[in-house]
Amino acid sequence: MQETDINLLVGGPQGGGIDSAANMISMAFSLAGYNIYGIREYHSNIKGRHSYIHFRIMHKRPKSLKYPVDIMVALDPDTLFEHMFDVSHNGKIIYDTSFDKFELKNARMITSDTMDRIVNELKSRNLTLDIHGILDYFRSVGAMPIAMPFDKLINNCVPEGPATRYYNTLGAGTTLAILGLDIEHAYEGIKYAFSKKPSVVDSNLKVIQAAYDYVDKSEIKPEVLKTYPVIPRMLLTGNDAVSIGKLMGGLRFQTYYPITPASDESTLLENHEDIKFLENETENLKKAGLVVVQCEDELSAVNMANGAALTGARSATATSGPGFSLMAEGISFAGMTEIPVVITFYQRGGPSTGLPTRNGQADLLFALNTGHGEFPKMVISSGDMEECIYDAMNALNYAQKYQMPVIHLVDKTLANTMDLVPEIDIKKVKIEKYKDNNNHENYKRYDLKVDDGISPYGVFGKDIFWMTGDEHNELGHVTEDTSMRDKMMEKRMRKLLVADREIPLEDKVILYGNKDAEITYVTWGSQKSLLLDVIDELNKDGISANLLYLKMFEPFPSEYVEKVLKNSKLIIDVESNMTGQAAKVIRMNTGIGINNFILKYNGRHMTLDEVIKSTKRIMNKELEMAVLENGS
Amino acid sequence: MEKSVEKYNYRSDITIDWCPGCGDFGIVSAVTQALANMKMDPKDVVALSGIGCSGKTPHYLNIAGAHTLHGRSIPYAVGVKLANPKLNVLVMGGDGDLLGIGAGHLVAEGRRNSGIVVLLYNNAVYGLTKGQAAPTMPLGEKVKSIPRPNMFDKINPIALAMASGYSFVARGFSSEIKQLSMLIERAMKHKGSSVIEILQPCPTYNDVNTLDWFRKRVYKLEDDKSWDPVVNDKSEEDEKFNRGYDMSLKWGDKIPIGIFYENNTVPPFTERLSKIVPDYLKYPPSDQDVSDKDGYTIVDPIKTFIEKEIE
Repeated sequence: MQETDINLLVGGPQGGGIDSAANMISMAFSLAGYNIYGIREYHSNIKGRHSYIHFRIMHKRPKSLKYPVDIMVALDPDTLFEHMFDVSHNGKIIYDTSFDKFELKNARMITSDTMDRIVNELKSRNLTLDIHGILDYFRSVGAMPIAMPFDKLINNCVPEGPATRYYNTLGAGTTLAILGLDIEHAYEGIKYAFSKKPSVVDSNLKVIQAAYDYVDKSEIKPEVLKTYPVIPRMLLTGNDAVSIGKLMGGLRFQTYYPITPASDESTLLENHEDIKFLENETENLKKAGLVVVQCEDELSAVNMANGAALTGARSATATSGPGFSLMAEGISFAGMTEIPVVITFYQRGGPSTGLPTRNGQADLLFALNTGHGEFPKMVISSGDMEECIYDAMNALNYAQKYQMPVIHLVDKTLANTMDLVPEIDIKKVKIEKYKDNNNHENYKRYDLKVDDGISPYGVFGKDIFWMTGDEHNELGHVTEDTSMRDKMMEKRMRKLLVADREIPLEDKVILYGNKDAEITYVTWGSQKSLLLDVIDELNKDGISANLLYLKMFEPFPSEYVEKVLKNSKLIIDVESNMTGQAAKVIRMNTGIGINNFILKYNGRHMTLDEVIKSTKRIMNKELEMAVLENGS
Repeated sequence: MEKSVEKYNYRSDITIDWCPGCGDFGIVSAVTQALANMKMDPKDVVALSGIGCSGKTPHYLNIAGAHTLHGRSIPYAVGVKLANPKLNVLVMGGDGDLLGIGAGHLVAEGRRNSGIVVLLYNNAVYGLTKGQAAPTMPLGEKVKSIPRPNMFDKINPIALAMASGYSFVARGFSSEIKQLSMLIERAMKHKGSSVIEILQPCPTYNDVNTLDWFRKRVYKLEDDKSWDPVVNDKSEEDEKFNRGYDMSLKWGDKIPIGIFYENNTVPPFTERLSKIVPDYLKYPPSDQDVSDKDGYTIVDPIKTFIEKEIE
């Protein structure tokens, strides 16, 4: 029997409850023993514009998404048009009968450029510019539109509220019913999705019942979906995973200025300042909680985090491109004065405001080169939920141990991915602290009598010392002496060599798959898990591929990368940017040039189907560089 | 056993390189005098500065200090204070640093009210870059270092500090060291955040607001026995705020120095935080253990983020 592999899309207006529908669907399937993988897409808008969640549901843990989808739920007519090409042959499309009178010219929330594209597509196929045109199109490709009387069904069971408020539940419930999921799981999904609003649980349960009844009486005869034993898991986004990792890693001071897609991390932490500690703690430890400060701007955020670090607190901030631009000077200061601080950098589509709610990986070179002058900093990157957790812990460790700013790169796709994480290993990463200062009387903050360049770390409140962004002497006072300048520059930069020597290779770069494969993918960030799925799929077609996955860019594992790529046959660099920035870093560090690329810069996540298709075209020498276009 | 005052030396042995006659010398004297009066352990007080002549101050003091970035001394100070609320935190910044490049932070800190002391050195010029007009120089003023009369109007630092929410607002003069040290001491004892504007001559670049110019004009608010700027009950708040604000508008032939407004009814940010994070004041972020004896985390990720769990 073929393994269950359900691809699902729920679309509707922003503010129309897509998040609740997503949570409900995730919970319902996870209680049936399934794994889910979902990515949220949304406009920079509060209410009205098209937003959707793209899901994949499997028993084994999916690591990627693919088009076309098997079921699409349209909570508004716009969804049908926006996702014209996203539904498979035999796919089911659930929509409201009241959309019947809808004409495309009334779709005010579709941006004009998208509208032009849709109109051209419909016209070129001689289809009418209304609901009938798009439904005709779906039928012509073998998809099955299913009209449901949304308002009537809802008003029958919940007469009091505006029916639109329950569209999300009706759509999600119908999906679950069609897929043959037990109604009890759907009920549990509702209780989970509305756990913060218990007053609406009952009415939503009634709507679920109505959805199941409707499907039951219809011509659709769903097969009962197989269920599996359930293991405890956490439903996390990348934002959540970094928050958890930071807190486990000893973070006690976080600053931020609101920005998409970074602030979800900080608001989650703000919600958990009152930390719950492990119970089997027999030691008499000093425990309290976390301090989160919403700052007036990112200048304040990075510098306040620096300030907190001067007291010995493990501190961090989180931002996205525009905020990171403002942080550059503070990062340079942290490098110069040797402050341990972590900056979680959620990349989105740039430049400038760019695509504020969409994906991008165009800030790698910016992160590597941020701040004026030459100073040591570390740049690491995460590619899946587990990495977000443990890398966040490691980032805090590195910052403390090497007394330098650590930039932790995460991309928007990963930040907004929903994934079920089976187990958090609380002993996977040991907490490492700064080199303590024991000489409180004659303390020199920048003591040069250290081979590794790492001077003992004194803190405000225990030690008297000075620090300055000017070049300084061992005491931290300003100097312009030529010899002291050289010594201090060399001391600071030496720490990076020490970090490179001490950090194990597997925390910097990983080669997945057979080393003699025909294709070697090179990537970083959220494409990691996608490419692991791609490799599995290619194997089924008899094509062998491996993945050189980069996790650390400063210090860069040049020797290993060079060794792998020297022996690779066909190297394809896969990145969500236009210029192949990781390939540039590889060339800079190893001299090896990469000539084949799969790139995407339309702001949407890469999907399995488009990467496989492009790979085959590159293999056939049809093209050297593929630019991916999926997504709405 | 109480340590004697002489035990502490609050001046470091770094040579001061301010110009002869600079008002900054008086500020250093006032700060060290205030610390001595309070018998302050040098480890309990921290100085944060930005860039400019004022920025050099921490190096001249024998207390822990950071000479940070232009305009950013307040974020650093707030980071230190909130991570370790037991510390006394002093900010030393110039008029350009705090009212120009760092004005946003000055305003935001009023709303936060973390409990830091901001010493705002006001000489109306950017001295270290050769005397450009600072945000406190009046419109049309022509000092010798600028090529044409000043094109901008000036900010009123006292009114701005009050409007921003600082609960202790005062003005001192760098040559009235006794009063200035009293103001600094009062500010350090005040639980909320304070701004003390300090009038000072820049003998090199500002040939208008000279030492004599200030001497002829300043008078002490406390000399008027009926002047009572202290709010100890919410009912007095409006009246005393309005009086302090009116007083802040007085400038010209007579310039008041002293306390304009002190409100003891505002809970500082540290107090607000302790309501959310139990034991925050006992074990602030600087003092917390983050790992057990084997070096592993002490945070329970499941219990902390219980709403994310699916079972």
